[in-house]
Amino acid sequence: MRIPGVDTLSRVPVPPIVQAAFAPVVRRSTTYAVAVGGMLDQLFDQAIAEVVGRVDIDALLDRIDLTEIVLTRVDLDVVVHQVLGGLDEAEIASLVAKVDVNAIAGSLDVDVVLDQMDLTSVVLTRVDLVKVVDAVLEQMDLTTIVLNRVDLVRVVDAVLDQMDLIALANEIIEGVDLPEIIRDSTGSMASETVKGVRMQGIGADQAVDRAVGRLLLRRARTQGPAGS
Amino acid sequence: MDDEAGTDEAHARISPVPREARPFQGQRAGIVTRLIAAVLDSFVIGAVLLGGYLGLVGLVFLVDPRSFQFPDLGLVFSLAAAFGVAVVYLTVFWTLSGRTYGQLVMGLRVLGYGGRRLRFVKALLRAVFVVVLPIGIVWIPFSRNNKSLQDLFLATRVVYDWEPRTAHKDPPVEDEDVS
Repeated sequence: MRIPGVDTLSRVPVPPIVQAAFAPVVRRSTTYAVAVGGMLDQLFDQAIAEVVGRVDIDALLDRIDLTEIVLTRVDLDVVVHQVLGGLDEAEIASLVAKVDVNAIAGSLDVDVVLDQMDLTSVVLTRVDLVKVVDAVLEQMDLTTIVLNRVDLVRVVDAVLDQMDLIALANEIIEGVDLPEIIRDSTGSMASETVKGVRMQGIGADQAVDRAVGRLLLRRARTQGPAGS
Repeated sequence: MDDEAGTDEAHARISPVPREARPFQGQRAGIVTRLIAAVLDSFVIGAVLLGGYLGLVGLVFLVDPRSFQFPDLGLVFSLAAAFGVAVVYLTVFWTLSGRTYGQLVMGLRVLGYGGRRLRFVKALLRAVFVVVLPIGIVWIPFSRNNKSLQDLFLATRVVYDWEPRTAHKDPPVEDEDVS
């Protein structure tokens, strides 16, 4: 241990005789000072140890908001960059390998995660729905499903309820001209003759009308059903 | 086919009328068709008269076969009988079905005001008029609406109607204009 002022004293110009006179005193006092310094060191060490031993660290930490302190006083970006910069890929890989991903996944609240996602838009934008539907349909026997699961009687009843069967039947009969078929199949020569005579009569009527119309310079009568 | 009006009609109900004739249904009939019908009716009336005469002959023969000879009924009686038979025949058929046998064959129907069947009185008047003045039919081609003189005075008309029975709906009322 060094005594303050000793070096200074030694540099002060002192006559040799004085030095000789005080030399024993200086030696003695220096020895004392060194001894006292060592004792004081020990004393301080013991006092600090006693203080540290008596401090309740937990209580102290309880009174301090360490998180707040870290957040306000520590530049976390720098810390993280430093930490990440100090890591190499192998270390990261080994760290990741030690992580129990399943446990983390198990602790996740999936509902909360899903609530924060717009799954519909995700599916619409990211999924090829045509392929998915095709694949699903490929694996399904739709005919069997319909036959087993659908109440066909009700379906047919509902369809028939919405259809005007009479109008449909009339349309079909008109399309195939059923009366004409019946006439052709059952019609006798007489009815064909009557039809021919009637049509010729109508033709003759019109011819007479036209002739008289020309004779009287009359405007031709318009064709069409009665009332036209 | 070529019928627009017939198609519309057939959508409402199935028509037994051939397609080619459908456009003419309800139109006023011309002179040729009506003349043929009248000739056929005259045959019918003649047949009825002949039948009546033969019946009378048979009756006379049964009453006194030994002094049998064909009865001579005289011109006036014959004309009166023909008039009566014709009027009764036309009146009955026009009232009941709107068509005589000749008109049935030719696909015609006599309609009164509003397209309805003739009432008895009008049918009787028309029958008398037709029998008295059969030449009235000649007016048809000169009329814009194919009306004979009888049609003109009695507000009747004769239309093509091939339906076996009267159509369910009443034909439209036409203007009764004079040519």
